[in-house]
Amino acid sequence: MGKIEWAMWANEQALASGLIYLTGGIVGVAGQFRGWQFAAFGVAAGVFVCLLEYPRSKRSKGTSVGRTGQYCFTVVVKAFGPLTRNYYVRAFIHAALCVPGGFMLATVLGCVCLGIASIIYLVAAIRGEHWEPILPRKPAQKPNVGSINKPPQNPPPRPPPETRRKRVEDLEGAAYDNAINVTADE
Amino acid sequence: MVVSLRSWVANEGGKHLVLMLWLGTNTWLFMKTFLLYSTGKQYHYLYKMLGLGLCISRASASVLNLNCSLVLLPMCRSLLTFVRGTHTVSSRKTRRLLDKSKTFHVACGVAICIFSVVHVSAHLVNVVNFSASYSDDFPALNLARYRGEDPKLIMLTTVPGVTGLLLVLILFLMFTSSSHYVRVSNYEIFWYTHNLFIIFYIILMVHMVGGALKYQTNLEAHPPGCLRANQSSTEQQGEELEQSEDEERRCREEAHFQPHCPQTWLWVSGPLCLYCAERLYRYIRSSDPVTIVTVIRHPCDVFELRMLKKNFKARPGQYIVLNCPHVSSFENHPFTLTTCPTENKATFGIHLRVVGDWTERFTQLLLPEQRMDLEILPMVQQRRYPKLYVDGPFGSPSEEVFNYDVSLCVAGGIGVTPFACVLHALLDGWAGFRLQRLYFVWVCRELQSFYWFAELLCAVHHKFWQENRPDYFNLKLYVSQPHNLQSMSEERYRPLTSRLLVGRPKWKLLFDEIAKTNQQKRVGVFCCGPKGISSTLHRLCNSSRFPGTTFEFNKESFS
Repeated sequence: MGKIEWAMWANEQALASGLIYLTGGIVGVAGQFRGWQFAAFGVAAGVFVCLLEYPRSKRSKGTSVGRTGQYCFTVVVKAFGPLTRNYYVRAFIHAALCVPGGFMLATVLGCVCLGIASIIYLVAAIRGEHWEPILPRKPAQKPNVGSINKPPQNPPPRPPPETRRKRVEDLEGAAYDNAINVTADE
Repeated sequence: MVVSLRSWVANEGGKHLVLMLWLGTNTWLFMKTFLLYSTGKQYHYLYKMLGLGLCISRASASVLNLNCSLVLLPMCRSLLTFVRGTHTVSSRKTRRLLDKSKTFHVACGVAICIFSVVHVSAHLVNVVNFSASYSDDFPALNLARYRGEDPKLIMLTTVPGVTGLLLVLILFLMFTSSSHYVRVSNYEIFWYTHNLFIIFYIILMVHMVGGALKYQTNLEAHPPGCLRANQSSTEQQGEELEQSEDEERRCREEAHFQPHCPQTWLWVSGPLCLYCAERLYRYIRSSDPVTIVTVIRHPCDVFELRMLKKNFKARPGQYIVLNCPHVSSFENHPFTLTTCPTENKATFGIHLRVVGDWTERFTQLLLPEQRMDLEILPMVQQRRYPKLYVDGPFGSPSEEVFNYDVSLCVAGGIGVTPFACVLHALLDGWAGFRLQRLYFVWVCRELQSFYWFAELLCAVHHKFWQENRPDYFNLKLYVSQPHNLQSMSEERYRPLTSRLLVGRPKWKLLFDEIAKTNQQKRVGVFCCGPKGISSTLHRLCNSSRFPGTTFEFNKESFS
């Protein structure tokens, strides 16, 4: 029950698939295997996917925690406007990027994982989700309680001077209760 | 803060010992299998064809076998609760290790992922080598059908290849949805993908069918490397060379190869059967619905629920898992018990705070009207409560409060629930426990929260004063937000108002006071609250400020 935010899961998957795609591409290029051009494309595609997916989106309900150091990525991704906001575009980009990986053994895994992430992004887009940047909050206004350097102007309320004057003949009756409770402030 | 060796060993020693043992076992298994495949005579020809890829892939496979079997054991919660309960089988040190069972599960899971990457890479290299170094001398050894066969084709047409691809996909899905962020925001995604583990294990057990890797069976008749000796000896003419040859170097017959039988099921079937038995046991135990006796609304969005169930026994500190099919059929939510059933009273209770959608919907079903004052609805009235199933009880670190001479319980907000159950148990009879002194610190944001257990705290306080043990129960209450402070004006809550302080607690001073009055003792520190408090307390427990007194840190987490 409850609304599941599919985009969040798709984001984690896409980031992991980007890394797998990148690693497979590096292995393919380094070993100079057959079809290493596809591996070179895999390297570039992996880097692009990682950069696109690194900044997390803001959650629609609840607190959002960004990844460490994601602010610069957020600014760049935000600059592309509707291209990155819309998840249909992202699903299409991932689907297009993953196809060349299927032609080479080292990048096959990256291709399949990115394909799964693309499908989940499609589901998220159909459910109407979109990408919101996480921007730092402005510091909340501190309530104006008064500075410690300004002492109070008026003395505390006291009973009238008649009761305050010390009555030697009736010491018991001279005692009075404080109007305000005095508690030890620790 | 300077760390004291004795405190560090008391707090962290056991965990790190288990970690070292586990790492050592993994390393030993890896090296043993690696050496077997690189130096073993029965793999000589296979090694010549595949090279290092063979050794690395088989060694990582044996480590994967071990970790796939170990990863299930920490999740058998009923079994762990039973081990925690029997004091004859386990000492306090073992029980403290059980607190870290989820961490061990995560460690084994991470090891499975890392070694899967190693295993898959090594096997991809093997597939390329199978295709490139197709052996004409030993055709039985080949996996490829002809020299230079496309490796992708080999992978997709053999059972190990296809099952391997499926396994990696399932592992990828499980791994990406178990990150902390996904668990905190959308727990259902984590839970449903993690339950794919059963498909993972079934496919894992058929992964080795098909016999891609073969070993040589007739080592005495055909010592490895002897074929070339035979060929070279026929080339040379000269009988003296034949006579000088050792008997062992002469081949009597061709090399025979046989595939391995799948071994994974030996490792995995035991823990898997144990886990499935445990899930079945838990399902049967929770199939009896409970009767809801009372529902009480407390301030600050907290509801108290009192229930009755046949044959339900629990110890203070344990938690149960609720399932309400009317709200959601598959969701299970854990709640700590705040009252356990005793001989006098058979009902047990929980306090639940309304935080997410499940609790909101559940409490709306229990008490539909929005009234500001307390509302108690006994069973006599016409009230159709939803059907509720309870699974449990399960053990938690807070059960150990009674097993120390001196205990410090620190609670943050709703984290007071395990300690509430402890206090109820003390109220019933405190003389039988090892505990001699209890320090209770409760930090809340708002003053109204203290009303959840105000009666209980006052009752415990009065009981100890009347039975002439005023130093047994030491209470400190803190309100961390000083804005809009009201006061507890009721006269009967006087013991609480005189122990109420505004602001955050000063932990160093508190620990100093406890250390000074309890010298040469082991103090159990139990924390159930936000991360900030628990990490501060953990650091203080490990520090060297308090010579003579050891603080053992136990944490209970709700996430």
